[in-house]
Amino acid sequence: MTKRYCIFITALFCAFLGLFLAANTLSPDRDFSQLENRALQQLPAPSVKTLVSGAFMSDFETYVNDQFVLRDGWIALKSATELALGKQENNGVYFGKQDTLITHFQAPDAGKVTNNLSYVNKFVENVDIPVYFSLIPTQACIWADRLPEGAPNASQTDLLTQAQAATQANWYDTYPSLWAHRDEDIFYRTDHHWTSLGAYYGYTALADAMGLEPVPLSEYAKTTVSTAFYGTVFSSSGVRWVRPDVIDTYVPDDGISVTSYTYDKNGNPVEEPRQLYDKSFLAVKDKYAMFLGGQQSLGVIRTGREGPKLLLIRDSYTDSLAPFLTAHYSEIHLIDLRYYKLSVADYIKQNGIDAAVVLYSVPNFVTDSNLVWLGR
Amino acid sequence: MVFSSPYFLFLYLPIVLLVYYLTPLKARNAVLLVFNLIFYAWGEPVYILIMFASIAIDYTHGMLVERCKRRGNDRAARRAVASSVIFNLALLFFFKYWAFVAGSLAAIGLPFMPRLGLSLPIGISFYTFQTMSYTIDVYRGDAGVQKNLINFGTFVTLFPQLIAGPIIKYKDLGDQIDHRPHSPEQFASGVQVFVVGLAKKVLLANNLGLLWDAYKALPAAELTTAGAWLGVAAFTFQLYFDFSGYSDMAVGLGRMLGFEFMRNFNYPYISRSITEFWRRWHISLGTWFREYLYIPLGGNRVSTPRLFFNLLVVWAATGIWHGASWNFLLWGLYFAALLILEKAFLLKLLDKLPALLRHLYTLFLVAVSWAIFAVEDFSQLGAYLKAMFGLAGGGLTDAAAWYYFRSFLPVLLISAVASTPLAARLWRRLPERSMRLLLPVLLLAGLVFSTAYLVDATYNPFLYFRF
Repeated sequence: MTKRYCIFITALFCAFLGLFLAANTLSPDRDFSQLENRALQQLPAPSVKTLVSGAFMSDFETYVNDQFVLRDGWIALKSATELALGKQENNGVYFGKQDTLITHFQAPDAGKVTNNLSYVNKFVENVDIPVYFSLIPTQACIWADRLPEGAPNASQTDLLTQAQAATQANWYDTYPSLWAHRDEDIFYRTDHHWTSLGAYYGYTALADAMGLEPVPLSEYAKTTVSTAFYGTVFSSSGVRWVRPDVIDTYVPDDGISVTSYTYDKNGNPVEEPRQLYDKSFLAVKDKYAMFLGGQQSLGVIRTGREGPKLLLIRDSYTDSLAPFLTAHYSEIHLIDLRYYKLSVADYIKQNGIDAAVVLYSVPNFVTDSNLVWLGR
Repeated sequence: MVFSSPYFLFLYLPIVLLVYYLTPLKARNAVLLVFNLIFYAWGEPVYILIMFASIAIDYTHGMLVERCKRRGNDRAARRAVASSVIFNLALLFFFKYWAFVAGSLAAIGLPFMPRLGLSLPIGISFYTFQTMSYTIDVYRGDAGVQKNLINFGTFVTLFPQLIAGPIIKYKDLGDQIDHRPHSPEQFASGVQVFVVGLAKKVLLANNLGLLWDAYKALPAAELTTAGAWLGVAAFTFQLYFDFSGYSDMAVGLGRMLGFEFMRNFNYPYISRSITEFWRRWHISLGTWFREYLYIPLGGNRVSTPRLFFNLLVVWAATGIWHGASWNFLLWGLYFAALLILEKAFLLKLLDKLPALLRHLYTLFLVAVSWAIFAVEDFSQLGAYLKAMFGLAGGGLTDAAAWYYFRSFLPVLLISAVASTPLAARLWRRLPERSMRLLLPVLLLAGLVFSTAYLVDATYNPFLYFRF
């Protein structure tokens, strides 16, 4: 190697480092990643305290990673390389058949499952209205045949059996109706939620248990509101080569009002009007938030009909289930225990609730740390 | 700070190189010292004080040894060496072994050592060994004393090899600290070694780490024989590419700054005996123990029982150096036993076997050793070893083992080839012209893919942080 060639190699290396140093310094910082659906780390300000504890350094490292130029492109390059190397998963997501991305379901912490089931039982003891309880099996269970051959996958049906045996609530099973319709688009392929169609089959199971006559699907006209939905699993997988999902709605939202109850910074109660379908979310990445406008602590759907009042203790799967329930109730109250920290039993008394449903997806239920609030 | 991270590659390193080369020769060590301290303080903002103490005390001891020697007072010189060794070992014991000894004593009903709950200062096993060798070498006359405190500080804290070796002895580096030429040839060769090391760590070691993690965490009842071997194979490659990748990066960075460090690995997995394996694996540690422990004990110029005793002592020390836990001691003694057997008769026997069998013999024993190395809990270790030898809770094989085997086969094959000198040999056979065309392409590919994996990295542990 000649001296000139060595200077070239040296310059090449230094140029590569220097290029990204300059680009990272000059490019404006982003607040939020649409693709990853999370706030990105901003430049931390050093203080004596954070320098000594090392918190500044670790925030700074996250900052450099989060704000790296072309971050989304690097992530896509990595997942494509993994696929080329013969991998069938990336960042905890399996590359399933039929363009389906499926999050690993790992064997849950047995102690946590027992505790969460006991909190539901405690809730049943605390209230004097009927409580219905079910868990929603997800893609990793219903669509297990789409997983790569032999991919490790813990059993969700075992958990359903365990929950049914342990619960004092009126157990109802969403598994049989979902399983019967597994060849239909009952889940999104790129998001962890069920589709409106999947939610409809969940609704029929609930209606049967509650003695209601479910509205036949044929009475609704399917409306496709988006054909370009890439969900949460798409984001975490880094996979960029699958087709987008379609979002449909069935139940018309005429005459239905939604109010979200929350508190402002000073602790004063605030009422925020919402919609059954908030179309403004269709313009952003997080399109599933179209259902009821995304996360909320406490929401009330008023249907304008005569009828009893229902309370849903729930995760985000019920956002797309709630529209089907509007046919049977005057009011549907939705409580998310991640944010709602008051007594649910008191809430039931104060608002004249007639029946309560506890409904979570299996993965959310076995990892949730907020069900403890249900027993208070 | 770790080398395989975006903030090191695209912030710290370019700034260091820029400032370093803009500084006149005379002031470069001072600049380097400041950057070394930033590098260490980044990961250990409080323990930087240990570093200052270590520099001050070893610097003083070096001067003391030299002065006693000059005055012909050998006894005082020896005392100064002993004092330095005791200080360094005490430092190491206090931060690395206190909790282990306290826990072990408490376990047999002697809870008189309080639990301190101190975290292990990064790299302490490496830099205490380096500074210890300094005073010994000054006493032995193998190295001159370093009178310049800045130069001495630069040696102790030199960032490329500060936290994970290679363990550089002062006698090998002292002259380079005082004076070193810088050339584009050396820089360019440093770039090549660095990028190879980066790719080994980021693209191979981290990748295989995912496979090992899947098996490490598995309850004994679900472990299969095929899975246990797949897991151990993954760890075997992960550890090698992680550690040798890090050493390569250190050597490469050293060259960029004008230093020449010793080679730390020489294709250990092509060895044909355990004796040979340890001449090729972590060479800087092996030679350290050889020079400062094995030879002072009498080395191999002693009676056979004494030789075996010496081997036992050296390998117990080597084992426990790797981590303050019983499994590391067991791991060291496992190698002591194998080396004693080889010295006693096995090597002669092996000489008569075909090369393939000797490779298999070595790889098999090394793989078993990594299981002992990697699984700290003895009951888990027992279950894992049982599974490897056919007594698995989950049977011979299962669908998951097949899934992981398929998924990781290409990476495992690349790793197997990369563990041999094959690629390097082919590279050297290329005509100069092709080499010149190919090199920039390969370097850029290595940098681009490594960057992609690092930016994505939710997963980037570094195995040798325990040491």
